[in-house]
Amino acid sequence: MNKARQSTKLKMLQILRVATIIFAVFLALFPLIWVLLASFKSEGDLMRIPPVVLFRPTLKNYAVVFREGFFFYFRNSLVVTFSSVTLSIMLGVPSAFGLSRFSIQGKRGIMLFVLSVRFMPYIVFALPLFFIMVKLGLVGTRGGLLFVYIIINLPIIIWLMRAFFDGISQDIDEAAAIDGASQFRIFWQVVLPCALPGVATITILSLIFAWNEYLFALILSGRYAQTLTVGLTRFLGGMETAVRWGLLSAWSIAVIAPVVIMALLVNKHLRKGFTSEIAQ
Amino acid sequence: MRPRQKIEWGKAVIYIGPSLIVLFIIAVYPMLYAIRSGFWSWHLHRSATRAFVGFENYIKLFLDQRFLKSVGITFLLTSFSVSGTMGLGFLLALLLHKPFRGKNITLGLLTVPMIMAPVVSALMWKVFLFEPDVGLVNWFLSLVGIKGPSWVSTSPWASISVVIVNIWFMTPFVMLIMEAALSGLPKEPIEAAKLDGAGYWKRVLYIIIPMLKGKILFTLIFRITVDYRMFDIVYTMTRGGPAFDTQVLSIWVYNVALRTFQVGYANAGAVVMMIVIGIICFLILVPTTGKRSEKL
Repeated sequence: MNKARQSTKLKMLQILRVATIIFAVFLALFPLIWVLLASFKSEGDLMRIPPVVLFRPTLKNYAVVFREGFFFYFRNSLVVTFSSVTLSIMLGVPSAFGLSRFSIQGKRGIMLFVLSVRFMPYIVFALPLFFIMVKLGLVGTRGGLLFVYIIINLPIIIWLMRAFFDGISQDIDEAAAIDGASQFRIFWQVVLPCALPGVATITILSLIFAWNEYLFALILSGRYAQTLTVGLTRFLGGMETAVRWGLLSAWSIAVIAPVVIMALLVNKHLRKGFTSEIAQ
Repeated sequence: MRPRQKIEWGKAVIYIGPSLIVLFIIAVYPMLYAIRSGFWSWHLHRSATRAFVGFENYIKLFLDQRFLKSVGITFLLTSFSVSGTMGLGFLLALLLHKPFRGKNITLGLLTVPMIMAPVVSALMWKVFLFEPDVGLVNWFLSLVGIKGPSWVSTSPWASISVVIVNIWFMTPFVMLIMEAALSGLPKEPIEAAKLDGAGYWKRVLYIIIPMLKGKILFTLIFRITVDYRMFDIVYTMTRGGPAFDTQVLSIWVYNVALRTFQVGYANAGAVVMMIVIGIICFLILVPTTGKRSEKL
């Protein structure tokens, strides 16, 4: 009797647990789904309350967005994101190797410094960088922006990759050294291949962070290097112009689609990246 | 020991040097620049003359109602958003960490808010959900007979909506970390407590949380520093309004420098911002540094 009651209680708890999880997934996704639906609606259907679920889908919003300079911003975002992540990886991975393998003075200081850059309010860098770059004529250039973007990813790359290198046994270094490999060959041909999964994870993370960046782009991109996140706010409307709902939704979806699709495809890698930052 | 370390520096510098040089150019130099210009009176719209004024900017800051208000708002929004995300994220992790069918997909879908550009999320919420007349939130509220407020344009709803979006954005992050941490815990102490008759919440409170203390603290620092500098979401949703009610410190610096053109003054504010977060991190880290320092 008692047992039976306990098992029904357990079943109830189980149902409650599943329901809560489903509700959480719904909360996480419904803004995205709602805007995705909106992006296929015509102007008339957009403003209807109660919202219409069945409507005639149209691609008009996307057509207008793609005609109205989307690809200008898209190109900027693409160039800035990929080149800055490439640079950051090229700088950060060897540094992480160095910090993992050499016993040097001030290592702790360097790691703390790197970490503090990660935690610093970005506006502290962004504002002086604006004036420095004005002087150098770099505001509004993609080159200037992508160089500054290194600041958001390099610290994470160094921290995560150092932990990753620490996890690779030094025995293989020593074996290679006995065979006469130079220090650089040990890094390039022996240790780095073992670390490739880590490099893949951190590359995905960095691409997402760079693609989503807004503050630096807002201040430093001038007119000609504006990225997608900056371009998006054009449709928000000003004091006198109305919000252009349809275009805004289509543009939003176009900005996040590459990231969301990629993230869902490599989901396991991505989650490992996010959690390993704390794990050490 | 010493000479050997010097030699290692000679080898290590090829690996570490380039990163340090780049970080110096894009992080240290700008920071020094900010500190220096905080001591100067520098207005963009007046003639280009700058004058050294010592601590005048800093004294002005502590008498500036608007700046002090920004400090207060930053603390308020940060504490609500951090406690919200930490609590919800931990509870979700407790629900999710036992294996079940479809766990991978569930975790993947729950990660979506975190990987979307904050600007896009903020716009989605502001325009499609919090819109007072045709937004989804007020429509839901009207179904249960509540007339929803004008979310982002009136106080205190503007602050509340900013916190809601921030919690929505960052809860998955805490959840992921706590889920991984919970899955990695040893089973024995928990089982032992269960045999001793400790109920579920007792086990969570007295066994699981103490075991995760280090990770929770580090996550906390993470969340505090990220929220303390929040800009994207607030700026997109409210621009700091209405009546400066959501003007967090990052937006204060941005507005003072690039709207009223008092660059020196803005940089002084940025320096204060930097010092405050430094002190906060230090205070949280001090009790745990003993353990962590061996790792570094």
